Amino acid sequence: MNRRVAVTGATALAMALGLTACGGDSGGGSDENTLKLVAADYGDKASNASKKYWNAVAKDFEKQNKDLKVEVDVINWNEIDSKVKTMIQSGNVPDILQTGGYADKVADDLLYKADEVLSPKTRKNFIQTFAKAGEVDGDQYGIPFVSSTRNLFYNKEIFEKAGIKEPPKTWDEVADAAKKIKSSGAADTPYALPLGPEEAQGETMMWELGNGGTYTDASGKYTLDAKANVETFTWLRKNLVEPGLTYSNPASTDRKTAFADFAAGKAGMLNGHPTLIDMAKDGKVDYGVAPIPGKNGPLKSTLGVADWMMAFKDNGKQEQIKKFLDFAFSKKNMLKFDEMYNLMPVTKDTLAEMESSGKHKDLEPFFEALPNAKFYPLGDPAWDVVSAEIKKSGGNAIKENPAKVLGELQKKAEDAAANK
Amino acid sequence: MPDQAPVSPASRSRGPGGRRGAPGRRRGPAGLGPLPWIAPAVLLIFAVVIWPIVELIRTSFLNISIAGVVRGSAGFDKYSKLFDDSSFAGVLIWTVVWTLVVVSATMLISLALAQLFNQRFPGRRIARWALIAPWAASVLMTAVGFKWMLNQTAGVLNTLMLDLGLIDHSKDWLGTPGTAWPWMMVVAVFVSLPFTTYTLLAGLQTIPEDVYEAARIDGAGSWQTYTGITLPMLRPAFLVGVVINLINVFNSFPIIWAMTRGGPGSDTATTTVFMFQLKETDIAESAAMSVVNFGMVVVLVLVFLKVSGWNKEEDA
Amino acid sequence: MTTATATKPEAPSRPRRLPPPKRKFRPRTLVIAACAWLLAAVFLAPYLEMIVTALRPSDELRDRTYLPSDFEWMNFIDVWKESALADNLRVTLLVAGGATLLVLLVSLPAAYYTARMKYRGRKAFLLLVLVTQMFQPTALLVGLYRQFHQLDMLNSVWTLILTNAAFNLAFAVWILTAYIGSIPVQLEEAAMVDGLNRFGAMTRVTLPLALPGVVTAVIFTFITSWNEFVMGLTLMTEADKQPLTVGINNFIGNYTVQWNYLFAASVVAIVPVIILFAFIERHVVSGLTAGSVK
Repeated sequence: MNRRVAVTGATALAMALGLTACGGDSGGGSDENTLKLVAADYGDKASNASKKYWNAVAKDFEKQNKDLKVEVDVINWNEIDSKVKTMIQSGNVPDILQTGGYADKVADDLLYKADEVLSPKTRKNFIQTFAKAGEVDGDQYGIPFVSSTRNLFYNKEIFEKAGIKEPPKTWDEVADAAKKIKSSGAADTPYALPLGPEEAQGETMMWELGNGGTYTDASGKYTLDAKANVETFTWLRKNLVEPGLTYSNPASTDRKTAFADFAAGKAGMLNGHPTLIDMAKDGKVDYGVAPIPGKNGPLKSTLGVADWMMAFKDNGKQEQIKKFLDFAFSKKNMLKFDEMYNLMPVTKDTLAEMESSGKHKDLEPFFEALPNAKFYPLGDPAWDVVSAEIKKSGGNAIKENPAKVLGELQKKAEDAAANK
Repeated sequence: MPDQAPVSPASRSRGPGGRRGAPGRRRGPAGLGPLPWIAPAVLLIFAVVIWPIVELIRTSFLNISIAGVVRGSAGFDKYSKLFDDSSFAGVLIWTVVWTLVVVSATMLISLALAQLFNQRFPGRRIARWALIAPWAASVLMTAVGFKWMLNQTAGVLNTLMLDLGLIDHSKDWLGTPGTAWPWMMVVAVFVSLPFTTYTLLAGLQTIPEDVYEAARIDGAGSWQTYTGITLPMLRPAFLVGVVINLINVFNSFPIIWAMTRGGPGSDTATTTVFMFQLKETDIAESAAMSVVNFGMVVVLVLVFLKVSGWNKEEDA
Repeated sequence: MTTATATKPEAPSRPRRLPPPKRKFRPRTLVIAACAWLLAAVFLAPYLEMIVTALRPSDELRDRTYLPSDFEWMNFIDVWKESALADNLRVTLLVAGGATLLVLLVSLPAAYYTARMKYRGRKAFLLLVLVTQMFQPTALLVGLYRQFHQLDMLNSVWTLILTNAAFNLAFAVWILTAYIGSIPVQLEEAAMVDGLNRFGAMTRVTLPLALPGVVTAVIFTFITSWNEFVMGLTLMTEADKQPLTVGINNFIGNYTVQWNYLFAASVVAIVPVIILFAFIERHVVSGLTAGSVK
């Protein structure tokens, strides 16, 4: 219609495209003596930001290896997954990544195997359950970084006020205790049940384990809508939600809300992990820790969670990465990180140190649960999609029709598994 | 923006470009015509607005793994996956409801506010300034503020309603769609009011006093004056308000993202928020959602062009 | 009505509608004032609550009280140490300032030419501007991220300056075109007869008259860029390079939300803009007047 505008537009577009071409060359291919490390932020303010930790590690490492440089990029937990995804998609792959999952990257053949980037000494130092959880089809890719196990936390003061002698062991005892707390008015929220998107996959699994259910069967097929799991949600709705013994909308209540309520003395009990210890202490809550109640008795193996380190082979810096990882997994560094956030170790020497130093008495119930911990199906490349779907809509199973919600999830999980 | 769009007949005849007497032949420096004047603007638009649109459309036809690796073309698969999603229909319906409710409420309340703040009263400047606060403050921060005020445990709005006896126990307003939608709409209206009210105030300023004088002499009552004179003369400003709000509210993201993240599930998501949720599981499906979103905006634009008579404007 | 603004575009902020003084304290005025003041309070209330929360000691955040037992003023000092607030503020200032400058540089010539000249492609240009205005960055994020990665410009302040400028350009062009169009061309022609060239006529005659429009465009761009969230969130991954709106999100940690610090940082971000608005409130109306009737 109009030649001049067409010409102007074309010129602009051509210039823009020219710019891309130039940009394309400089992007991605970084200097081979610079390692790019992307890590999740475990802190919640500047004074305990993980960036501080990693900068210090990088500095020490650079002191020992004058020819190498480490570029640290620490990203908020809420954003890290989508940001890493976009990085990979646009070819801006980090050399080393520390985050929550690894198997999806194995499916795209992006990672070095653990034995390619770790010295035998470092490898042997990992606690066996975790090394095993890092395997995909028999080869270890995921390198465990920190771990935690889950237990029941309860507020002793509230329990005393409500006349509860000891922490509940079975689901029925949970409901009883919650009823007592409610009728005595000792706490706003007798049982804090967070099924919101933040951590729905964790809370769900802790409850499903109590009824002998899990996410996958022995062959690794997803069983999200198994009868036992539907029962679990039905029980929760009838016994905790409907009588008003927990949040009115668990599906949109995030774990941080539950933790904050417990740390403020406003929740009677909940499932938690070691970080809650510090929060409870800060809030001057007199808390107790017990195994998570199951339908007929406390869980024999509780949920174990590990976060992972992985090395990308895109930039081909195998030797440099190996040097850095051996350094990062030294006892000194691991201990520093674990103690900074009150998390649990994944290496034997650090565990021995933490158990024997006497400084970590409050972690003992969590250490005990470590050897028998059950994990998410971490080695399944489709797990990240499944986990994201559970986070998004799994909590809705607490509402009127668990079979339907879980059924839809199961379908999505099967699609994801077929498509990996 | 909608430059000459909501024009009154008067201005259409002598609108900026339509100045017949203006020396149209006269050129810019060096006889390059419009190029030196408008090229930078066009360039910026192409580089930062048009290019990502192209990129977006391309992405929606790719098969991208969860880790972010491109595994070749997906054809229309991502679109069918999107349309098959059990939340999709609900999201579309709510997007329309959200946009209509928020825009109409904003326009109606703004009309009243503009009328009120156009009166003379002691302290008008300070009151007007207070009205501007939600506009000056970031929408995100305002939404986070409301989320905090609605907090079940310690939110001041819960406390206030308890003390006033409006509710008998503290409620989790944002936890369930039935109450989350109304509250988010309240916040959306709240942050849209200042701009809209000011646009209407500006419109009111352009109505000459002698028109009112004439009406008064004719013995018209205040309601008659309002419907007979003020409203019709306010039409251009009102249209601008409607259009800008339609676009803003339709695209609105920070409010819902900050307050519910679209949850539980996708029960409180509009298309924009849904697109963000999909990014977590399938970036190409998310791109497909963006393209659909884009399509809806294009339709909105076309309808607007049609209604405002853009094509009749001129024929250059 | 258009002619009214066309001849005196700087006037509308001062309506010549002074009511007779005797009316001043009629009951009606009092009712109006009461309503207006009440509404003003409602509009300010959320921000006051933010300030109150910002002053709460950490252990009183979950108390059901209107006011904390005592105000923790140190929060406003600690927040600078507990976050990258200083960096965030610097980035926000750079981005808002840079984008505003860029928008002016790019939109003024385009608006001037479009208002004054009838050129081939004028309509196409206006259509392009209109379409730009209809899109908000939210809808294009995936594309934007991929593009700026290809340009290797993630985490660069320039990226946010460019993107914010581009998405605010349309509004500036619109309002400036309208405003300049309302200034009689005869003024310029007279100046040119007196020996000025077109550029001189533009800068010496038209621009000063268009100042209220320029102020409006500047304010809009500045405020929108200052408050922009989605692009900052996506295009800037490093905490110390993020703008304030994104930075405050970092108080929403993995396990806790530090509401008091979050709102202390928000107050730091919001208060300057609200105060800025207090000074330019009059211009906003006059700028919008031109925009809305043209």
